[in-house]
Parts: sequence; structure tokens; C-alpha cells
Amino acid sequence: MKIVACFKASPDAQDIQTLPDRTLNLERAASKIGTYDLNAIEAARQLADATGGTVVGLSAGGAALSNAKLTKDALSRGLDELVAVVDEALVSAEGYQTAQVLAGAVRDLGDVDLVLCGAGSSDVYAQQVGNQLGTILGWATLNGVDAISVEGDHLVVERPLEDAVQVVEVALPAALSLTSGINTPRIAGMKDILAAGKKPVRTLDAPALAPASATLVSQLAPEQVERRHIILEGSPADAAAELATYLKAL
Amino acid sequence: MDFHLNDEQQLLVENVRELMQRENWDAYFAECDVKHEYPQRWVKALCDLGFDLIMLPEDRGGLNLGLVTLMAVYEELGRWGAPTYVLYQLPCFDTILREGTPAQIEKVLAYVGTGEQIWNSACTEPGAGSDVGSLQTTYTRRNGKIYLNGHKTFITSSAHVPYLVIMARDSENRDCFTEWFVDMSLPGIKIEPLNKLGLRMDSCSDVYLDEVELDESDMFGTEGNGFKRGVKDFDFERFLVGACDYGWALCAFEDAARYANVRVQFGKPIGRFQLNQLKFAQMAIRLDAMKNMLYETAWSYDQGTMTSAQAAMCKYYCPSAAAKVVDDAIQVLGGVAVAGDHRVQRLWRDLRVERISGGTDEMMVLTLAKGVLRQYAA
Repeated sequence: MKIVACFKASPDAQDIQTLPDRTLNLERAASKIGTYDLNAIEAARQLADATGGTVVGLSAGGAALSNAKLTKDALSRGLDELVAVVDEALVSAEGYQTAQVLAGAVRDLGDVDLVLCGAGSSDVYAQQVGNQLGTILGWATLNGVDAISVEGDHLVVERPLEDAVQVVEVALPAALSLTSGINTPRIAGMKDILAAGKKPVRTLDAPALAPASATLVSQLAPEQVERRHIILEGSPADAAAELATYLKAL
Repeated sequence: MDFHLNDEQQLLVENVRELMQRENWDAYFAECDVKHEYPQRWVKALCDLGFDLIMLPEDRGGLNLGLVTLMAVYEELGRWGAPTYVLYQLPCFDTILREGTPAQIEKVLAYVGTGEQIWNSACTEPGAGSDVGSLQTTYTRRNGKIYLNGHKTFITSSAHVPYLVIMARDSENRDCFTEWFVDMSLPGIKIEPLNKLGLRMDSCSDVYLDEVELDESDMFGTEGNGFKRGVKDFDFERFLVGACDYGWALCAFEDAARYANVRVQFGKPIGRFQLNQLKFAQMAIRLDAMKNMLYETAWSYDQGTMTSAQAAMCKYYCPSAAAKVVDDAIQVLGGVAVAGDHRVQRLWRDLRVERISGGTDEMMVLTLAKGVLRQYAA
């Protein structure tokens, strides 16, 4: 099975600074593999190990993808090879444009059985790319996938709903977006890190971007409010009821 | 001069950080410290990342990444208040590989990746501390066997290691000091654990040896070479002591700095008061001095040029400088540090032991001064 695990090089949230006008300063934030994308890489590795398959990492983005440390980091976490579509315009691309670029790369790769995405990017977290990518490819597409197993020529996946678990048989090829709880991504060991530098990395030029499907009007951090320091006392049931009242009134 | 770690070293440090962030290890360390227990689960997690492969040669399945790499890992672990002192045996396979018989090497390397305690050496006796030559433990040959008799004390790790390398003198030729690779499950060995001020996650015990029967094949290294073997390995161990101490100082410093920025008294953060600023300035200078000394020594080791004086300098300076940093941090943290269970208490206790264990301050001064003066001898 040939599995593509998609990831985004996103600014490290710890180093993002909120300025007094609520805009964000990303200058000091180094790029990292998106937190939720690590779930996709881990799930891909586990499935590949179980089926004797291979895992190709795929990312579309800007100069961050040319950073050897970042690509080694990705490769050390379970990828067999890496394909990066690099163009500065991709840094500010919206989900639909990114999905178009990724779909093109998946088609170029050929023979791909499964594309896995995380729950969302760790910066914008729009949760759009996985579903749009699957739709553009015309493949079976699901999100919120919390478990995957292989049965014969198809997959059986679980999707937690509000009060039940939906079990779906999915024909391949398919594009799945995962929950952040599907697995605990491995921490790469020292051997994996050293081996990463020897794995193949291919860089592709980005095609002309599709027209944006939406317009970004503004991007501001939430307004800071003073903490109200309200403490609810009483039995857990009473406190929960009171808390619910507060939350509804917000 | 390039102070950068390469990509692989940076990733290694970041992954160690990720491991330390994944759970509240500090609660585990606190529990192990109270119970005097070896933090096996944490050491195993480190070995799963390949910690014990850092200094192991490639032909033994290791990665041979060098002491600068190890230093960077110690620094990151120390920042989290981790008990790096329990790790000393994992970068020290060199001793076993150089001195051990194939059978001894096999026994020790079988533990690679397990995170379990493996071995330590035992020199100190009630009458032989810094003056190791006064030791009274003897080995006696009789009917083709060797019999060990004596009393070792303050022996680190001895309550739980499967093997101890024990220094003894020949009862027939008392100037001949030889080490023995002793299986701790043998009859005639009695262990009495001691309480300890700090470094409590590693045991410290009296070891009584009563007619412990060994074979010639249990000899460690060559007969009469006991002292010479020690010197080279002491240097490495001394460096590691400094590396631990610096990391803990960094931990306490960061705890204090974060606190000083948010703790408000008299209408402003306490970090704005000049008496506290003097502490932070001095803490930063000491941290910087330790860091530079340790990294340069590690770099020297990787070049094959580390001297005993350099190692002694790390062992002498870092415990005291780190203790001063931790002490200042406690002063800044105030009641938060001394009441309750703040980790700086543990670091403070641990650092006091560091000035004694693994070679006292006083012995370090002798080695260091001798090495320095020798350069100017006519």
C-alpha cells in the first residue's frame, strides 16, 4: 500500500507574539511540522508497517520546506521519502488552493492508495484541506477518522459521533482526515534522526495557483478580557448546572 | 567560532524536550526521590530514544555521536530538573569495552536499551576515601579460586546493580591492587543501604564481602592495574558531574526568572528590584561560565585532548557555581521554594552531595592545580 501523509510547516505556536493591535508577529516563530499532522504521519507508518507498504510525506509551502532540519524531522518520524511543493505563494494560500496543489502532486506520484491528513493545520486549523483534497481527486473522503484497519481490499474506519461510533467500510483509493486522538505520534529516536538525512527528498515547483475560494478580511487574536475570578461552590451537580447557566449567558 | 549544534543534534535535543513535555515527570521524580527509588521508567524512555547509544561505538551497535552531543542532551534534561546523575553508567561503556573480558562485555551490553542499572565500581571503604590506597579489602587465591573479603562503603548504585567492579589488594602482595567483576547475587555479599542527603534516586550502601568466591576469569582488566584504570575513567565521570550540575542550575534559574517576572510586590514584579537583579546577573554569569567550560571540555574530549585538569575544573567549579545559582533561585522564589515540594529543594540537596561524591572538591583542587602548574614547570 502506498500511503501519502500530508503535513504543513506551521509557525511554532509557542513563539507567536500577539501585538497590542491584536495582530500576530510570526517573525520569531520557527516553522515546525503541524502538531495534528504528526498523527497522519504516525497512522501512515503504522498502516504501512502492517501491510508492508511505503509512506510518502507530502507538503506544500514556502521556504520552510527547504530547511534541512525540518525535512529531517519529518523523515525521522516514519516517512520513507518526502515530496515538497515549494513556492512562497503557498505560504498564504487558502485551503482550496493548497488542496489543488496537493491533489496535483498526488496524481503525479501515481499508484497512491491512501492519503492521510491531520485534523487541521496547527496554525489556521480550518480543517478543510483533507476533505477538499479527497473531493478534487474524486476519491472516497472522510474526516473525523479515529481508527483505521485494513480488511482485504478495503479499509474499515471508525468515526466517533456524539453518542455512537460510526463504522464505515471505505474503498481505496481514499482520502482520510484523522482525529488528534487516533494515536500518540512517536518521538523519533536518535537512529531515526541519523537515518533521516539519507532518505530521498524531492522538491517540485508549484503550478499556478487556482483562484482563491474565499477572501481573508482580517486575522486578529481574540480580545483579552479580565478574568472574572468567579468560583462556583457546592456539589458537582449543582456547580455543573450553575456553570452551564454562566456559559449560556456568555 | 561556531557554537551551533548541527541539525541532528538540535533534533535530538528537541525530541528529548518532547519526551520531557509529554508528562509531568517531575511528580515521578519527586516520588522516586522520597522512596529512594531508581527512576527506571524515565531511563527506559530515554533508552527508547537511543540515549545509551550516544557514546557507544558503532561496531557495538552504538552511534558514537560524541560528548558534545551528550552534553547537549544533559543540558536539556537538566533544564527539566531530571535526575541526570542516575545516567552515569550509560555513556561509560568505554571502560567495560577497554578492560572487560568478552564474557564481561557481553553481560554488560545485554542491558543496552533496557534502562536498567548495570554496574558500578566500588573503591571507597571506611578507612579509604580520597586515600584509596589505604583500602583493606583483599583477594586471596586458594585452591584455584579467588576469595574476596572486606567492607566497602558509600557505594553508589550498589543496592540494585547486577554487577560491581570491586577494587581489592592481593593478600599475599599488598602493593598489588586489582579489580574484580563481581556478580552481586553471589553468596557472601551483604548490602546495607544508607540514607542520603541528596542524589536519592540512586542507592548508596555499605557492601560487606565475606569469602566471596570468584574465578580468575572474573578479574577486571589486568592484575595490579587497579589504580591506573581508574584515573582515565574518573576524568569522564567528573565531567558528567559538572554536566548534571549545570543543567539543574539552569532549571532553578528558569523557575526563578519566570517567577520574578510575575510575582508582584510593592506594585511591581520582584525582578525589577535591584537586589534581585544582582542575583539574576550573577546567576547568568555562573551559568554562562559553566556552559562554556563544559562544552569546551566536551569538545576537547571529542578531539581526544581532554586533560585531567579540565575534567577536575568542571568537577570543582560546577557543583559550587550551580549550588550558588540554586541558592539564589531559592531566595527569589522565597516561601514557594522552601515550603511545599518545589523541585529546587531537591536540586539544592543533590548539589551539596556533588561536592563530595565522585571526588571531593579538595581532591579536584589538587588535580587541577597540578595540571595547571605542570605547564609552567622548567
